[in-house]
Amino acid sequence: MNKFRSYQQGKWLRIGKSFFEHRLGVIGLIGVIVVFLVAIFAPYIAESVSGYGEVKDILNSPSLEHIFGTDALGLDLFSQVIWGTRISLQVGFLVVLIAALIGIPIGLFSGYYGGWVSTLGMGLTNVFLTLPLLPLMIIAAAVLGSNINNIALIIGLFSWPQIARITRSAAAEVTGMQYIEAAKSLGIRANRIIFHHVLVNASAPILVNLTIVVATAIISESALSFLGLGDPLTWSWGKILHNAHRSGAFISSWWFSLFPSLAITFFVVSFNFLGMGMREALNPRLRE
Amino acid sequence: MFKVLQKQLIKGFITFFIAVSITFLILRLMPGDPTTMLIDPRMTEAARQRLLVDFGLDKSLIAQYFLYLKQLFCGNLGVSFVFRTPVSEILRERLPWTLALMGITQIITMSIGIPLGVMAAYKRGKLVDQIINALSILGMSIFIPWLGIMLLFLFGYILPIFPIGGGYTPGLSGWEYFLDVGMHFILPVLTLTIIYLANYILFTRASMVDVLNEDYIRTARSKGMEEKRVIWNHGARNAMISTVTMAGMLFGRMVGGAVLTETVYAYPGVGRMIYDAVGQQDFPLLQGSFIVLALSVIVMNIVADLICAYLNPRMKME
Repeated sequence: MNKFRSYQQGKWLRIGKSFFEHRLGVIGLIGVIVVFLVAIFAPYIAESVSGYGEVKDILNSPSLEHIFGTDALGLDLFSQVIWGTRISLQVGFLVVLIAALIGIPIGLFSGYYGGWVSTLGMGLTNVFLTLPLLPLMIIAAAVLGSNINNIALIIGLFSWPQIARITRSAAAEVTGMQYIEAAKSLGIRANRIIFHHVLVNASAPILVNLTIVVATAIISESALSFLGLGDPLTWSWGKILHNAHRSGAFISSWWFSLFPSLAITFFVVSFNFLGMGMREALNPRLRE
Repeated sequence: MFKVLQKQLIKGFITFFIAVSITFLILRLMPGDPTTMLIDPRMTEAARQRLLVDFGLDKSLIAQYFLYLKQLFCGNLGVSFVFRTPVSEILRERLPWTLALMGITQIITMSIGIPLGVMAAYKRGKLVDQIINALSILGMSIFIPWLGIMLLFLFGYILPIFPIGGGYTPGLSGWEYFLDVGMHFILPVLTLTIIYLANYILFTRASMVDVLNEDYIRTARSKGMEEKRVIWNHGARNAMISTVTMAGMLFGRMVGGAVLTETVYAYPGVGRMIYDAVGQQDFPLLQGSFIVLALSVIVMNIVADLICAYLNPRMKME
């Protein structure tokens, strides 16, 4: 048992070392940490904004007082972008939760049982991977009403196929291992094998994929908000861009669209780099 | 080949069936009944009832569902709330613009992305590979509307080379019209290309890395074959099989990008129409757009799978 544990530790140590050799992955990790810090300490960084600003503050370019400038209502953009980080993380977390709750079981059952279970599970997965999901999400958001939790729910309900597919291939690989065969012959219940042994051993690629689901979720949320389906009560980055587009100040007041766009890109790039770094570290074939 | 086609057609049909069923379900989740939106509140109860009967809304949900399917297969997508004209007519005008946009982007991204991905895989771990990777991820992480506006600002406003939005200048005909449409086309295509290029690069790179570890590559090398031929004829050809499969799926995702791009450029396609329909709560139009786009994507997937079968000698044998 002890020997096994030290083998496991060694394995994770090697993966960790390999991760830190990959420059992009480290940059991504730092970016993700920055995002979390900004979200946690948002109240200490900037005051939250609400209502209307003063007329003299409408569409001011960046200054010492408003370092990202102000919007068409005279509100400080720096505060909006900082507080938008919280919304993005909230959406990202909810989406991953919902997508994992649907995608992981479908992938596990498909990978473990194979045969018609897999045909059915992966058939459904492929249908959702094929369809144009943004128009579908637009319809759902227009019907359900735009509150930030609804938006996260909708994005989550359409984000599971990625996870299901990765989970299936990881689970299928693990299922072929001898220790699963041993568990089966010991008479352990199938559900326990699937959710205990297979899931734990297949967890690494699934975790990697969750970071990419977070990144995609933020792009979807921004797109929905930009198209006017955002929560009217919160400041997400897409919502700020929607306001910029609607007020016709997208180009004339460059700061209005620049900073929220940079925030989206920073967030998405960080999570994607992190995911890529982890994938390279985990995949021995991709390693030199 | 015929067998492949048959299988793909069945798959496509099931996908389409699921798509239309989901839209039906989503739209029935709507609070209140559709008449509250369609009808003037001053209308009498009797008139409201008659409209309910006219639209088949007095029937059970299951009966409504079959009615909806029947109408759909006759090509009837309902009537737009806002324009009061059949949705299918509106879409017939809009769809070619969007399909052209996506088709051309697809061809460009493929012809640049696949060679870059092969190169990155061949030089993996080297500086070239890292730069290609970093730029790819950066490209796919940019928010499309902002990229669109910036390109418009740079090439439509500061350097007025291209027209600022729209799909064509009214009043032109013949060769001039053709050129004009082409000029309006370039910035939207460029926007979509920057965003979706990464998918091809990263995907080709990943499958090429796998392919380069295969035995047949080692065999080809040990035969003393020229390295260029090993990479392109043996490696890239096999890596392309999975890339082309992904190309089909990418069509679905590219629709999302097309909606945003068309919105920014006020382009006369389905995407911009979806944006307008959202603002006007025009549900029949939204539903029709989704169904038509889903159908286009399904057809593209069938085409991609057929190309795949053609590329893959193992599949040809079957």
